[in-house]
Amino acid sequence: MNKDNIKLCINGRDYRLTVGKDFEVEETLSTVLRERLGFTGVRVSCNQGACGACTVLINGKSALSCMMLAVEADGCDITTIEGIAADDPVIEAFANETDHGYGTAMQCGFCTPGFVLETKSLLADNPHPSDEEIREALSGHVCRCGVYQGIEHAVHKVSRAVKEGE
Amino acid sequence: MKYNYVPRVDRKYVGSYEPKIDGKEKAMGRTKFFDDETIKARNPRMLYCSIITCPYANGSIVSMDTSRAEEMEGVRAVIRYDDPELMAMPPTTNSWTDTAITPFHRETVPKWFDRKVLDSRGRFVGDMIGAAVAADTREIADEAIKLIDIKWEVSPPFLDVDEAQEPWAKPLHPEANPGGNQLPHREDLDGGPCVDDIVVDKGDVEKGFAEADAVVEVDETFGGGSTQGTLDFRGCMAEWIDDGIEVWTNHYYADQVRMHLHDMLGLPLAKIRVHNTNCGAHMGKWNMGEQNFFLLSAILSRRTGCPVKYKMNVHEEFAETRTKIRFKLKAGAKKDGTITALYFDGIGNQGAYNGVTGYALTGFMNAEGIPRLFYPVENVRMKSRNYFTNRIPGGVFRSVGNVQQNFPLGQAVDALAEKLDIDPIVIYKKSFGNSYDPQPNASVAAVLDAAAEEFGWSRRHKTDEGPLIDGYKKRGMGMTLHNQWHAEWQENERGRIETSIRVNPDLSVILNAPTKETGAGGNSAAVMACADNLSFLGTTPQDIKWVSEGDTEMGLRDCPPTDSVVSFILSECIVGAALDVKRQFIERASEMMNIDGELLDIKDGVIYKKTEPWVNIQAKDVMMEDDCVPITGCNVRNNNKTITGIGYGAWFAEVEVDTETGKVTVLDLVIANDVGQVMHASGAESQQIGGVFIGMGETLTEEIFYDRKTGTPLNVNYIDYKMLTMADVPPVSPMLLEVWKGASEYGACGLAESTPTGASTAIANAVYNAVGIRIPQVPFSPERILEGLARKAVKEGQND
Repeated sequence: MNKDNIKLCINGRDYRLTVGKDFEVEETLSTVLRERLGFTGVRVSCNQGACGACTVLINGKSALSCMMLAVEADGCDITTIEGIAADDPVIEAFANETDHGYGTAMQCGFCTPGFVLETKSLLADNPHPSDEEIREALSGHVCRCGVYQGIEHAVHKVSRAVKEGE
Repeated sequence: MKYNYVPRVDRKYVGSYEPKIDGKEKAMGRTKFFDDETIKARNPRMLYCSIITCPYANGSIVSMDTSRAEEMEGVRAVIRYDDPELMAMPPTTNSWTDTAITPFHRETVPKWFDRKVLDSRGRFVGDMIGAAVAADTREIADEAIKLIDIKWEVSPPFLDVDEAQEPWAKPLHPEANPGGNQLPHREDLDGGPCVDDIVVDKGDVEKGFAEADAVVEVDETFGGGSTQGTLDFRGCMAEWIDDGIEVWTNHYYADQVRMHLHDMLGLPLAKIRVHNTNCGAHMGKWNMGEQNFFLLSAILSRRTGCPVKYKMNVHEEFAETRTKIRFKLKAGAKKDGTITALYFDGIGNQGAYNGVTGYALTGFMNAEGIPRLFYPVENVRMKSRNYFTNRIPGGVFRSVGNVQQNFPLGQAVDALAEKLDIDPIVIYKKSFGNSYDPQPNASVAAVLDAAAEEFGWSRRHKTDEGPLIDGYKKRGMGMTLHNQWHAEWQENERGRIETSIRVNPDLSVILNAPTKETGAGGNSAAVMACADNLSFLGTTPQDIKWVSEGDTEMGLRDCPPTDSVVSFILSECIVGAALDVKRQFIERASEMMNIDGELLDIKDGVIYKKTEPWVNIQAKDVMMEDDCVPITGCNVRNNNKTITGIGYGAWFAEVEVDTETGKVTVLDLVIANDVGQVMHASGAESQQIGGVFIGMGETLTEEIFYDRKTGTPLNVNYIDYKMLTMADVPPVSPMLLEVWKGASEYGACGLAESTPTGASTAIANAVYNAVGIRIPQVPFSPERILEGLARKAVKEGQND
């Protein structure tokens, strides 16, 4: 991986980055996205692939941006939370979860972008996941506030809405 | 869920199921946390600070050579423990809590000045001591720390209370106790010998036990293994500008940081500006004394002329646990469920520094237990003692003190009920309540009955008599009760609360109800209350902008989001601020209409003459036709010290125990809380759900392991420390009740802090109901369950 320049397409816009000038070769994708390019919706917590907060979409699939080098993403399409529209159904479902008995789908909101992007990735592959499939897909994310019940309900609601819209 | 929350008072927004006011920005990742505000791209001159963390559980620096670190390229400054500026600072404390304005301010919890800003002695692995470095990058700073040559004197570590009493265990804090490791209680501070700390003696416990038809003893330890584990690690960026300092932090209390820097650096308060950003949950962690990084970053900034950022790494973030307390508890009761005597013998292992363990042992038992939980019990004795060890300090963790108390108590009630062959609910109704409300307590009965009905408590079988499922699994049910959190105590201790409401010329509103949003949701509750109280303008929550960033220079003094207090205490203050807005609208309209203000009123955005309503003016026109200066209503509300009793909460759990692997699976959880007034129903339910999962995690999986020989914690990271994820959690039924009522307009008490309290006890009682074993300490790992089953099998074999 001996490259002087890399190209990342982030949220639909191309970024050409030069090693030593725009970033260092040992920097992770999460560091470059956050510290170099200002995509602070990419959250870094454990920095060891355990909490899921740094999740982004790479070519449409969820990936942990703290666990790969920026150079490894050369040529890839990357979607951060900043690339998801305000009226996206997943955003709406998380923001508006209020149903009696389920609480909300976030409290502090630190982990939420990771959950939203994981849900995007899941529903792209499987528009109508079962309870088990939702739990399996989102189990790589820690929400220390513990609002898993609201999150699961929000994902179900999006999935049902997609079904009705089909 | 069958149960429906029905508000006692029908209000438009308070108590409603509304989205969080910041739900959208949080979902979109737009919420700015400390680390987002302080990225290098925005602060190109910023340096990074790193502090030595002690590699030994019990080690002192004999000599230290920092020259190699100072010479390293990219290192801008090194500060050592023997720096004259640091040596001149007074010792500080590890129990810097929410209601204390500064460590030196006033007595809210017992104060122990047992921590230096930068010490030469390390008392646990990870203790921040010795020296701090400021460098161009975090990596350089971390490398420079490794280049500091230290000659250590290492003493054998002691992790347990028994070891701490051995002659070889030299005093960890000779300034507190030169003769040993037991924490002196207050009266001993003059130098007398340490004695067991008798906290409470009410009635005659011996007489009480003699009158009992059944007496049980439990010996249970809770704490010492779990940590807050929140994802947004603590930190600050300090920048010295001329003769003042500006600080950015995710600390939950901007004013406390300001006051602390004032105390320690001697700067005038007007020269210290602290901004606090959103914080990615705190669960209690900001109550502790690790804030030495504020002072070190500040001094390094002054010496380098650059902003200096410090942010904990994962190991540093894990250096705080729930206080470890062992309670040996003896309880006696009559056949009808009346508890005749309780005897608590509490032993605290507070780790390296005295956070609030002493308080969890003494104050919580004393202030919470007798007047607010088991007041009807006539004979109570509580005894406690507390030790320093080389473990990670026990600190403040959500449900502090209460969870350690409920764990033995709820299991003792369960054991009494079994022995007397009655329902534990009968015992709770007979013997639990407080000193202010009539007995039997209506709130106790309400939460128990509602939760039992929802859960299907009548299905419970007798201990260990359930069917064997698939040949190796058994199910069981358990429950417990505890009081809700701190309504009056907070009212008494918080001091004055400030809020302001600024109504713009277009009638949109800027609400300054300052608290740091950590997920507690005090912002949403305040906006709901503001909308209700501005109903005379027709205001909706969507019209209101809540001021999110704390700023000690621009804003009002903030109210820290602890003890669940921000859900209601800001709203109580908003009531007065809204009245001030109303008064000013009428005053302005009175001038414009040339009518005495006494004759005017305002409703739905129209100011009108009470006797001739057709003589009126739109509120918007009052603003637009005048000078367009917004109307700002302010209120400073002092404590309402009316004594009102307290509400209660009930927890019910069903578990399945795999008798072959020892795995415990929680199948169902019900939590019912009487909070007086629900402020924001969706937020409240989410706190109930999230809170019981904190308790469930501590009961089943969360544990920091230590190497016994070196005292090193082995799994202080998110891979090896096991927190619950979505794959691990059962359905929860969150039930909100309004039976008890506090003072003032809303009369609410805290909710979120209390929610983990009974989860562990309910699960413990359910495990007992399933397989007939009590596990002496959390977490209930498969090993401990299998050990318990083996012990039981041996005992049954002996009986046969």
